[in-house]
Amino acid sequence: MTIHQSIPGEDTKPAYNYAYLDEQTKRMIRRALLKAVAVPGYQVPFGSREMPLARGWGTGGIQITAAIIGPDDKLKVIDQGADDTTNAVSIRRFFERTADATTTEMTEDATIIQTRHRIPEAPLTSGQIMVYQVPQPEPLRKLEPRELETRKMHAWAEYGLMQVKLYENIARFGEVTTTYDYPVSVNGRYVMAPSPIPKFDNPKMHMSPSLQLFGAGREKRIYAVPPHTSVRSLDFEDHPFRIQSWAEPCGLCGAKDSYLDEVVTDDQGGRMFVCSDSHYCETRREQGHRGTMLADASASGLVEAKS
Amino acid sequence: MTVHVPPPDATLDPDPLLSVAGISRFYGERIGCADVSFELWPGEVLGIVGESGSGKSTLLRCLAGIDKPDAGEVLFRGSGEPLDIYSVSEQERRRLMRTAWGIVHQNPRDGLRMDVSAGGNVGERLMDRGDRHYGKIRDTALDWLTRVEIAENRIDDRPRQFSGGMQQRLQIARVLVSEPKLVFMDEPTGGLDVSVQARLLDLLRVLVRDLGLAAIIVTHDLAVARLLTDRLMVMKDGHVVEQGLTDQVLDDPHHAYTQLLTSAVLSV
Amino acid sequence: MTTMILVENVAKTFTLHNQGGVRLPVFDNVNFSVEAGEALVLAGASGAGKSSLLRILYGNYRPTSGEIRITHAGRAIDIVSAVPRTVLDIRRRTLGFVSQFLRVIPRVSALDIVRDPLLARGASADEASERAKAMLARLNLPERLWHLAPATFSGGEQQRVNIARSFVDPSPIMLIDEPTASLDAANRDVVVELISEARAAGSAIVGIFHDEAVRERVATRYLDITDFRKAA
Repeated sequence: MTIHQSIPGEDTKPAYNYAYLDEQTKRMIRRALLKAVAVPGYQVPFGSREMPLARGWGTGGIQITAAIIGPDDKLKVIDQGADDTTNAVSIRRFFERTADATTTEMTEDATIIQTRHRIPEAPLTSGQIMVYQVPQPEPLRKLEPRELETRKMHAWAEYGLMQVKLYENIARFGEVTTTYDYPVSVNGRYVMAPSPIPKFDNPKMHMSPSLQLFGAGREKRIYAVPPHTSVRSLDFEDHPFRIQSWAEPCGLCGAKDSYLDEVVTDDQGGRMFVCSDSHYCETRREQGHRGTMLADASASGLVEAKS
Repeated sequence: MTVHVPPPDATLDPDPLLSVAGISRFYGERIGCADVSFELWPGEVLGIVGESGSGKSTLLRCLAGIDKPDAGEVLFRGSGEPLDIYSVSEQERRRLMRTAWGIVHQNPRDGLRMDVSAGGNVGERLMDRGDRHYGKIRDTALDWLTRVEIAENRIDDRPRQFSGGMQQRLQIARVLVSEPKLVFMDEPTGGLDVSVQARLLDLLRVLVRDLGLAAIIVTHDLAVARLLTDRLMVMKDGHVVEQGLTDQVLDDPHHAYTQLLTSAVLSV
Repeated sequence: MTTMILVENVAKTFTLHNQGGVRLPVFDNVNFSVEAGEALVLAGASGAGKSSLLRILYGNYRPTSGEIRITHAGRAIDIVSAVPRTVLDIRRRTLGFVSQFLRVIPRVSALDIVRDPLLARGASADEASERAKAMLARLNLPERLWHLAPATFSGGEQQRVNIARSFVDPSPIMLIDEPTASLDAANRDVVVELISEARAAGSAIVGIFHDEAVRERVATRYLDITDFRKAA
């Protein structure tokens, strides 16, 4: 990798090292990543650095991306499934400025996809890397506050307590009510927090051809799921894992197979369900798919009327 | 009427469940417990009595593998080869604790998950060992709640909403659900009113007998020892000063300290 | 005849450590045996140590020296030196003790108390209930009391529950301490019958009976323990 360094005063760019982090830090992160890949689902501690945004805003994901990105990469960043939200735009601009990165909104074009809250609807392919921003990497934390104890529980695969949490859900509500960050068992060994993605996306992690990397900046942990690795959502035999489903298709593109957000359209109680993956929705509309509310939404300016 | 003739070949278990040899634990100069040895057979209930500071709780913590003694050995024959509980890995010891062993703490808060429902508390050990059928786990939990006299409709309530006696009964159900071979109890009726104690004692007596449990019970209450235990060890200043059948030790105490203990109590 | 109890050179001295170490010798050099089908009645003045001897035979008091061989499952076992679990097994299957007092266990009904030894020896629940009810009826305990815990019963009622428990399935050896103390004449007669029946069925009986009439009807032999006292 070439080290890109600009000289102060020569142009308007400040003198940051390539991709912001210094090379030693990137090496440290890469070593953590290698270990994480070698032990799927295991949380590797790493020396999380201060980044130019607050912890909890994706510093873990940004550090991983900074450690793996190169000038040939195409970076896609999504936040809540959308490419055009503030955080996604800021992070893309950050890597455009510090790593000369090419950015894209096209899932299939991207080599690195940094994400918060979603896995794109379009199938991932071999060679792509998913980078997840993780607020709480420890799936047992709410059940067991002691770090030493949770480490022992992972070390010896003592996961009965995780199951107790699901039991409590079913006992109280008749079903497992956890809808995001739904715990998974990776490669039949480690129980892992998949980050706050909806459980709708959990099946996409299973045997995915892409490499999946998880970074928790505030909690200083990195973990990974290598390509073609089993990722099973925890459940009971008589209460099997189920993903969310919607009564109606996407109001804009008519998709029946994607994760939908509820959008309030006016102050009269009007609402519609639309794909949370904005790129997926746009692609479908460009292909001629039409949702029942597309005309209304175009008229009211909610979506740009594309030809 | 006929005289019952015992079957000629009703042999007792050949090997003890627990073999304890020379357990000593020191706190600096002070003796926690010194050179304690005994054997416990399946189905036997051993009481350890003595005043506060006599070393009985220290001994229990060593026996249960919570603390490591400065000297001595504890062999457990659960199934297969005897396990030296101080040299097995922490992983194996933790597994024992969740399966073949159980600990009933004096304070139910130490033994229960207060934020988890009664059913979840009882079901945890089942899920620990890999049970993954919600309906069956719940049925087993219901069965155990009934056995410890907690109404079925309390299964989804949290222990916080229970009285002290109920919490203690729930803790017992949580421990016994995995059908342990050996249970350690530290003053199991300690913090309870006398009337509540009686109910709990009777429940323990019946469960211990029905399940054929081996148990080690630490208590300062000789009435508890009389009702629940087969054998007694009397401790003073970290030493076992007298041991034997419970009724022998209480009715015909030989050691000066035991005579003092038994004479200090109203008819037990 | 089968020797069920063989007592050899038994001595007992109580030492009261907390009262200046005072030593109370009870008896010395006790030797006797009891055969199956015998009823040995212990004689001697009050305070002579009859109850202490009975408790020693049961393994409750520990003699200062000597051996007591109990024939258990066909083998003679010294109950003095036996380990606790052996003593418990002997008591469970061979050696019964009938005291004057019922040890009341909270919340356990009279019927369950009587059923218990049958269940412990492997009888079915139905059979145990039938036999227990028959025994309580024979001892004239009102049926309305059967399902109550005896804590609130009168002394006589409690005593009858205790006797029913002991005789519902008589042990090969029965040690009996004043079983008729607070019973009326009719119930006393029942107890005498029960003892005779157990003996006829082969139990070895050792007992203490204050009531002279009862003693006369039960005993096949007397042992005056005052004889052992002199030597002490």
